[in-house]
Order: sequence, then structure tokens, then C-alpha cells
Amino acid sequence: MSLSIQRELTEKTRPPRALFLRWPYGHPLGEPFKAAQQRWVLCEALQALVSMQTPGTILDLPYRWRKPGPWEGGEELRVKS
Amino acid sequence: MNLHRWQTRFFALLFSRFPGLTARWLKRQRLHDYGPPPWTRLPKPLPACTIALVTTAGVHLRDDEPFDMVDKEGDPTYRVIPQKTPRNHLCITHDYYDHRDADKDVNIVLPLDRLQELANDEVIGTVAPFHYSFMGHIDGRHVARLLTETAPEVARRLKQERVEAGEG
Repeated sequence: MSLSIQRELTEKTRPPRALFLRWPYGHPLGEPFKAAQQRWVLCEALQALVSMQTPGTILDLPYRWRKPGPWEGGEELRVKS
Repeated sequence: MNLHRWQTRFFALLFSRFPGLTARWLKRQRLHDYGPPPWTRLPKPLPACTIALVTTAGVHLRDDEPFDMVDKEGDPTYRVIPQKTPRNHLCITHDYYDHRDADKDVNIVLPLDRLQELANDEVIGTVAPFHYSFMGHIDGRHVARLLTETAPEVARRLKQERVEAGEG
């Protein structure tokens, strides 16, 4: 399961499964010390690991850099195994 | 520090500030053809899986030999990161992106603590004892060594360590 912040490069290297975040280089999991945000992204990756069925799928996550996300209110992403 | 490293760091800051530049640069590059994506189904439910991390962020132990920042074609070698490593024993050698935030909290490029928390909460089975780190600038003659030697070696090690999935 690959976490990408450079979609064009991921399209060319073609990992089996990838999540894409339009976030700055060096920040695939988010901002430093924002544990809830980091955990959310990691859970998205684990969920995609379970649910993706087609080789080469790249899923674009909707989260915007330094904008509020669902992790802000203490909500947790439940990973369905 | 030599001129090459200063230039690299300058361009890393520039490309971090303006990601569109990388996309334009990529269009002009002839990258290796990796063929169709490989595929393995997850063999077990996540709560029974052992998960490892593989990063290209240039993370290594302070006692390790740093990645080569002088060779313009990069460095195809890897470093082993034991899960139990005290976080202040880790550092980053990678001039090709701005890692000042990752220097403060390595979890934004290598989520060791978050993965352990998910194991504690039984979302995954266990955290693998070792994770693996590359430095993501690998070009020219080093691509072949990555493909034929170092990446397969990491894959073999992960298999020996009975890892079901890698996140990276």
C-alpha cells in the first residue's frame, strides 16, 4: 500500500495500490505532532489495503492541506477488515 | 557542504513550495518501465496481519552510515529501522525534499507510533520488528541495482519476518 504526494510519479511507477494526497513533499501523513490526523491517514491506507480489488488503483483523498478534516473533532476512522 | 548539495537543497525547497514544477519536470523524464502493477491479495483479516513500514524519506539510525548525498545519481541502498528504536536515535539524510517538519516528528514520514497504537487497539495484528528505509532519489545506474539487488533483498527480509503487508 503506497502513500503518494506526487500523483504523476505514482502513475508512472504503478504500485499495486496507492492513496494520493495533495499535500506538500515530506508530509504524507500530515503535520508534525497531529497524531489524530496521522492516524486517520494510516487508517485510510489500511482500509484501502482491504477494499482495493484492482491492481494499479490510485485513490484520491479529499483532504486539503492545513484545512480542517474529520479527525479534528475526535472522530476515528473505523477500519472494516 | 559542497555546491551540489546546496543546489539540491535549494531546488528541494523550490519544488516543495511549487509542486507543479515537479509535474512539469516529470513530463520530460524517461522513467523505467515497471510493467503492470504486481498484485497480492491480503491473505488474512487485518487484525491477524503483521504490518511493516517502508519509507523513501531517507530515515536512518544516527549510528548508521548516512545516505550518499554527493553522488548525483543518488543512493539505492537501504537502512533497517527496528520498531523499538528510541525516536531520538533516528535522523534523516535526504537533500531532495524539505524535511524540517519530519525532523521534529518522524511520524509524518514513518508512522512508527501510529502503527503501534493501531496494534494496541487491535486494528492490526502486530507491528513488524523491523521497518525499511530508502532515500527516494535513485537515478541513472543506481536504478538497476535497486531493482535487482536492494529492493528484492528488502522483500525477502519482509517475507522472512512473516510480514503480510507494507505501508509506505
